[in-house]
Amino acid sequence: MRVPPGLSRLLLAARGWGRLGAMSRYSTEQRGRPNSPDYRLYFKNADGKYISPFHDIPLFAGPKEDKEIPAKRSKTTGSEVLFNMVVEMPRWTNAKMEIATEEPLNPIKHDTKKGKLRYVANIFPHKGYIWNYGALPQTWEDPNHTDNLTGCCGDNDPIDVCEIGSKVRSFGEIVQVKVLGVLGLIDEGETDWKIIAISADDPEAQKIHDIDDVKKHKPGYLEATIDWFQLYKVPDGKPENHFAFNGEFKNKDFAVEIVKSTHEHWKALLHKKVDGGAIKCTNILVSGSPFCCSEEDARSIVQSAPAFMNGDPVSPEVDSWYFFPK
Amino acid sequence: MSGYGVEERAGPHSPEYRLFFKDGAGRYISPFHDIPMYADAGKNVFNMVVEVPRWTNAKMEISTKEPLNPIKQDVKKGKLRFVANVFPHKGYIWNYGAIPQTWEDPSHKDENTGCCGDNDPIDVCEIGSKVCSRGEVIQVKVLGTLALIDEGETDWKVIAINVEDPEAASYNDIEDVRRMKPGYLEATVDWFRRYKVPDGKPENQFAFNGEFKGKDFALDVIKGTHEHWKALITKKTDGGEINCTNLTVSESPFCCSQDCAKATVDAAPPCKAASPIPPEVDKWFYYQKN
Repeated sequence: MRVPPGLSRLLLAARGWGRLGAMSRYSTEQRGRPNSPDYRLYFKNADGKYISPFHDIPLFAGPKEDKEIPAKRSKTTGSEVLFNMVVEMPRWTNAKMEIATEEPLNPIKHDTKKGKLRYVANIFPHKGYIWNYGALPQTWEDPNHTDNLTGCCGDNDPIDVCEIGSKVRSFGEIVQVKVLGVLGLIDEGETDWKIIAISADDPEAQKIHDIDDVKKHKPGYLEATIDWFQLYKVPDGKPENHFAFNGEFKNKDFAVEIVKSTHEHWKALLHKKVDGGAIKCTNILVSGSPFCCSEEDARSIVQSAPAFMNGDPVSPEVDSWYFFPK
Repeated sequence: MSGYGVEERAGPHSPEYRLFFKDGAGRYISPFHDIPMYADAGKNVFNMVVEVPRWTNAKMEISTKEPLNPIKQDVKKGKLRFVANVFPHKGYIWNYGAIPQTWEDPSHKDENTGCCGDNDPIDVCEIGSKVCSRGEVIQVKVLGTLALIDEGETDWKVIAINVEDPEAASYNDIEDVRRMKPGYLEATVDWFRRYKVPDGKPENQFAFNGEFKGKDFALDVIKGTHEHWKALITKKTDGGEINCTNLTVSESPFCCSQDCAKATVDAAPPCKAASPIPPEVDKWFYYQKN
């Protein structure tokens, strides 16, 4: 049986990849079976306490972290601001994994649609996701807020990130990234900003500071990104997606402003200034939040999830390549 | 189902790794010499030995110079070879392998390419939707061919589709690939042109300006390489270091016994877990297409 690359990365997560990087302060714990609806990846901080990757990992990495969380040693490139990114989908994988915003402690789970596990299509010439894909913690695209740039309401999720570095990251990994720019995707009528970023420790990070550097050092990558987001749901019977600004990528400063505004929306959510609907704001580290809970409560949330077991092989249809007429 | 099986020795992604082949009765065979070229000659259905599954990078190949010709990972300059990811591609973009009982003779100059053969069985790019396993023996319909000139040697790339592909009935010639998988043939030329550039080699060239030839032409090319193989296996041609040990080609002076085959396999180290793939293999190479 061929081991899908995603599975080997899940196995890496099971061993607690926290040991792999000297700087990694987070670890993960698998529950349920991979490639099944009951699979969950819970997060723990350096003290071994269960945390929410949505609410308890600081948005800003390095010296600008919130005081509640011990300062993390981080590499900074000059005076550039670094953000933490939660990796949901390693590059070239297909399983649509996401932070479960409506479950307490927001573990990563496998998205389902119409009762079936969701795997993103391979849109020729692409294989799975073409970046390490994930989310910036402590951000929220508020569905009650109409974005004045896109004209659409937020998609009710943390802001998405496409990390373009050369390393394929592990599922559930926390990576420090530099923001380079942003694409204004309108996905099924909702605002769905896609931050373009690069890992601070990428070998080329010293050369890549803004969106034009991406065009220069990785020609074709931004065009492929548009192509991908435009078409990726068509094999599921959905229409092509559209973009704000005619699909033009905005630069770093613009992107950082977008990130900051989604951070403000998140703060309002955590301090109950806006109604988050079904969003679970349970956290252990956001002081002043009415949703703060104890370590013990967090532990019992995780322990009520089914024990980890080996998963089933992935269906071969996931490997189909979709071709579109030219 | 082909009925063939494999036996791994040492671990994948190590220099000692070998994938030996067995027939339906569990007897060791050579995937180069003992698997018939034709699965069904009347319908032009060929056997194909899968060396590299789609989207993987490890450059695995039938080892033509070792007895029983197991699949092993190619080594260049002392290092295990992994093919580069040339943006937008990830690894190999088809299931890649060889047609057994064929040989591109290095002492024969091909009249189409003007170059000598690359000393290997003829290569196949299988374009079906299933990602096959390394060592799988599948049945394919030939659709056409590309005439690559790889580092100055003739290196035909047969385009084929797995007969078990759900859409196989709609594919009968190269035009069907163009129509049903637009961009795939262009991507194939692009891939072969550029795939060695990250290793410091120049772009490759093609005969016929990179144009794909159709099924009938491809069938003739394959038959030519089958004749070269017959001459090799019956010692009418000197194969140099090619190892022609086989179990089933009765007219071959290189035919050997199952005991002898078993001794070859038994001498190989025991099966082990795979070594991790170095993270550099995941790098994506970008450069402007000309």
